[in-house]
Amino acid sequence: MKFVFKPAPHYRSPQSTSGIMRDLTLCLLAVAVFSVVYYWMNYGSEVGLRVLLHLAISVCCALCTEAIWFACTKQKVVDGLLSSYGWVTAIILTLISSVNVSHYALGVSTVLAILFGKLVFGGFGQNIFNPAAFGAAVLMSTFAASNVDLVSGATPTQAINAFSWMTTADNVNTLIGNYGGLGNMFLGQYVSTMGSTCAVLLLLCMVFLIVRKDIDWQLPVFYIGTVFVLTLLIGLMKGAGINYALFHVLAGGVLFGGVFMVTDPVTSPVTIPGKILFAIGAGVFTVIFRLRSNMPDGVLYSILIMNMLYPAIDKIFDGNQIKNAGSILKKVLIGACCFLVVGLGIGAIAEVKEGSVASPSSSGSAPAVDVSLGTPISLSGDLATYKAEAEEISNDGSVATYHCTARGFGLLDPDGIASHTGHEYSRNEMDVTVDLATGTVTDVVLTHFGDTEGIGDIATQEGVLAGHVGKTLNDEVDCVTSATYTSESIAAMLQAALNAAAGN
Amino acid sequence: MSFLTGPMHHHLEGHKELTSHKDILNMTDPDVIWVPLMNGNAPCTPLVSVGDKVNIGTKIAERNDHFYLPVYSPVSGTVVAIEKRMSTTLKNVDHMKIENDHQNTVDKPFNPIDYESVSNEELLEFVKNAGMLGLGGAGFPTYAKFTNPTNVDLFIINGVECEPYLTADYKNMMENLSLLKTGTLALLKLSQAKKGCIAVKEDKKDLIAKLQETFNGTNVEVRTVPDIYPAGWERTLVLLLTGRRYDRLPIEAGCILNNASTAIALADALVNGMPLRQKYVTVSGDGVKEPKNVIVTIGTPAHDVIEACGGYTSEEVKVIAGGPMMGNSIPNDLFVVGAPVNGLTVLNYKPEKEVKCLRCGKCTETCPSGLEPVRINNAEKIKDIDTLVKLDVNACIECGMCSYICPSKIDVTEGVRRAKRYMALKK
Ligand code: SF4
Ligand code: SF4
Repeated sequence: MKFVFKPAPHYRSPQSTSGIMRDLTLCLLAVAVFSVVYYWMNYGSEVGLRVLLHLAISVCCALCTEAIWFACTKQKVVDGLLSSYGWVTAIILTLISSVNVSHYALGVSTVLAILFGKLVFGGFGQNIFNPAAFGAAVLMSTFAASNVDLVSGATPTQAINAFSWMTTADNVNTLIGNYGGLGNMFLGQYVSTMGSTCAVLLLLCMVFLIVRKDIDWQLPVFYIGTVFVLTLLIGLMKGAGINYALFHVLAGGVLFGGVFMVTDPVTSPVTIPGKILFAIGAGVFTVIFRLRSNMPDGVLYSILIMNMLYPAIDKIFDGNQIKNAGSILKKVLIGACCFLVVGLGIGAIAEVKEGSVASPSSSGSAPAVDVSLGTPISLSGDLATYKAEAEEISNDGSVATYHCTARGFGLLDPDGIASHTGHEYSRNEMDVTVDLATGTVTDVVLTHFGDTEGIGDIATQEGVLAGHVGKTLNDEVDCVTSATYTSESIAAMLQAALNAAAGN
Repeated sequence: MSFLTGPMHHHLEGHKELTSHKDILNMTDPDVIWVPLMNGNAPCTPLVSVGDKVNIGTKIAERNDHFYLPVYSPVSGTVVAIEKRMSTTLKNVDHMKIENDHQNTVDKPFNPIDYESVSNEELLEFVKNAGMLGLGGAGFPTYAKFTNPTNVDLFIINGVECEPYLTADYKNMMENLSLLKTGTLALLKLSQAKKGCIAVKEDKKDLIAKLQETFNGTNVEVRTVPDIYPAGWERTLVLLLTGRRYDRLPIEAGCILNNASTAIALADALVNGMPLRQKYVTVSGDGVKEPKNVIVTIGTPAHDVIEACGGYTSEEVKVIAGGPMMGNSIPNDLFVVGAPVNGLTVLNYKPEKEVKCLRCGKCTETCPSGLEPVRINNAEKIKDIDTLVKLDVNACIECGMCSYICPSKIDVTEGVRRAKRYMALKK
């Protein structure tokens, strides 16, 4: 007879860490399946399989990195793998990436995420940064160039980013219309990062995880709530209404981040008031980053910033929560105010910068237009994605006028033109007159504008169009920062007309 | 504001059905017993010598420091030795070994009194002389709670029994309703509170009905509490019943609490003039063949009690004095059932696979004392005394909740205990 001695308690909850991770994996797989099906149905089996392959490569890279690490540090490999949960990081990283990333870039980012986001800190439970967010930041900052253009069109966050402070309700509605309406966005029927689109599914996952007590409801609710309330206030102030706030919540990574990343227990505070403050802070930074910087989506960086702050937040709430009950609410409120002030501070600085960038183009003949300009577009460059075509409508031997059409920026335009992926895009048309002797543009007239009013049309202002006069195939044309796609669409038409004239 | 701090309690799977409706086994005539000469951490001085003849009710020892507590013999027979045995506190302490002569000769140490007609001072003196002590686990002398009852507005009989597996109080109450009523009313009188209440878990429907019938017409109300742990802990119970928190003693919140079994034992003394001789003990868990409740004479070795319940189901078990949350596991089964023991939980040993802390914060959300066990564990590892002080380590009641809830199966409670010991050393 053997009597085992152990300290009390002798009773353990049925919930285990591996059970929590299993639930999490299930939810992530559900999101992944949605993504595969969506791309398969809409862009063909090739793209659907690509999503699958992305997942497989990322998970393999994660597991291999960990296996090698455990082998090198003389730990048990299988046990280590099973209690390190690398696949969760890998799946999250894949789902917050665009389908256009290259396999290679995703694989390398996964390795870096696991290695420098987690293992060097001492492994699971010790890391400061959310490893998936870390990996995604690497992916976006380092490997953007290796993206392939399988599925194009701006994601909603790129579109909203193009806007900076969006103002009118019309603009918002046009933008939402571009993605098939709020309902469509709710069902995830548009292109963004692979896993972040289907709001319904993400909300179901959230409820499932909360009911199973795998995550604390305070984290997603306060995070998403903060984004919603702040954007609602901005929307109301600027007259853009509630749709503006809904767009912010539905578009981009807010829901996905709120359900799967803000809730990562390892990189959030341990107390509930700490978690609430953490979530509010992440929400504030998300909104500020979205509105005030050129980053495509503020979610990642806001989470990474809050990750750095969680040890400090933990310290703030150290102590007996019953005896300190009075001060806990105060601390949360003060903390939230601090984040708002810091956030607004960042916002103000960003505004000054933006103002200084918004100077008229310096490229010679262009008249002063009050727009900010990005990298100029070379007329001899590759603009094939815009499928520009030029049809001669008049030719007197010295000058010829061409009617040009090109793909625009908006998705799913009913009278748009088909792209090679079978997707309908909006259509822009203009008449371009070219001096045949010199091969220079002499006149540009916009005849049909299919892109988003209020965004793209900045690139079609009289002044901007007039700026294209005098250009040849060897020149560059201005690119209006907040209307890159439309600028490129116009450039593609100029190119088509100039090419047609050269062949004449 | 519980959304700001977490619920500070949790529902536990009680497994009470293992024993709650089984017949009670009577083991009140053992051949030999070992009466522990210990109350809490204080030794009791023996008043009889080896070879002396004792009767049921003979005063055999007493605690006589700042508290007074007499110990009466539970059997009649001969004192054969005073020897050291391991007690439920895991220390070797003196036990008085008495051989039962099975004559059951009674030597009443005091006369029954009518609590209604005597003065409060007389009643208090009676409680003190009768050797009444808290039977809920603490073993604190009962009279001491009532020496200065000022501003008490609620007297509480604690029948919550929130530890999993244990049903001894439930059985005791079900079987001794009239004694429970007498004891409760006597203690209510001592407390000078306007109102009394008896708290039980809301899922014990049959007991609630019987209690309501029993206490009908008195100013003792039957109150129910949700099936959560640790609803039976004084602070949580006071909070649940009155919405008040207190710093050190429940009397600060205008409450005095006593265990239901204590009230029944007191009534036995008041009505029958008999001292505490036996206990209701739940023998349960998957490690024992026939889980049931047993009436055990104080001083009976756990081994005998477990044998009477069919013995063990496997070769490797944990024997726990009390419930699985707060009871100590004892490395043998030779320890005896003393007054504060209300259960013997026997569990088959299944080692837990511990993984790394994932910082989920579940321990901080459920700790009934409002502490942050994970932060305490981390601070203890690096011996950061300042942080430990800030984290208010000494407010821990060692309820075991943090280890229970930890999904990574870490011995969080033990880490907090280590921190407490470290703090004690540093002071
Ligand atoms: S054992 Fe102590 S620290 Fe752990 S939950 Fe109970 S009171 Fe809190
Ligand atoms: S419950 Fe366990 S895993 Fe969770 S924070 Fe506490 S010690 Fe860590």
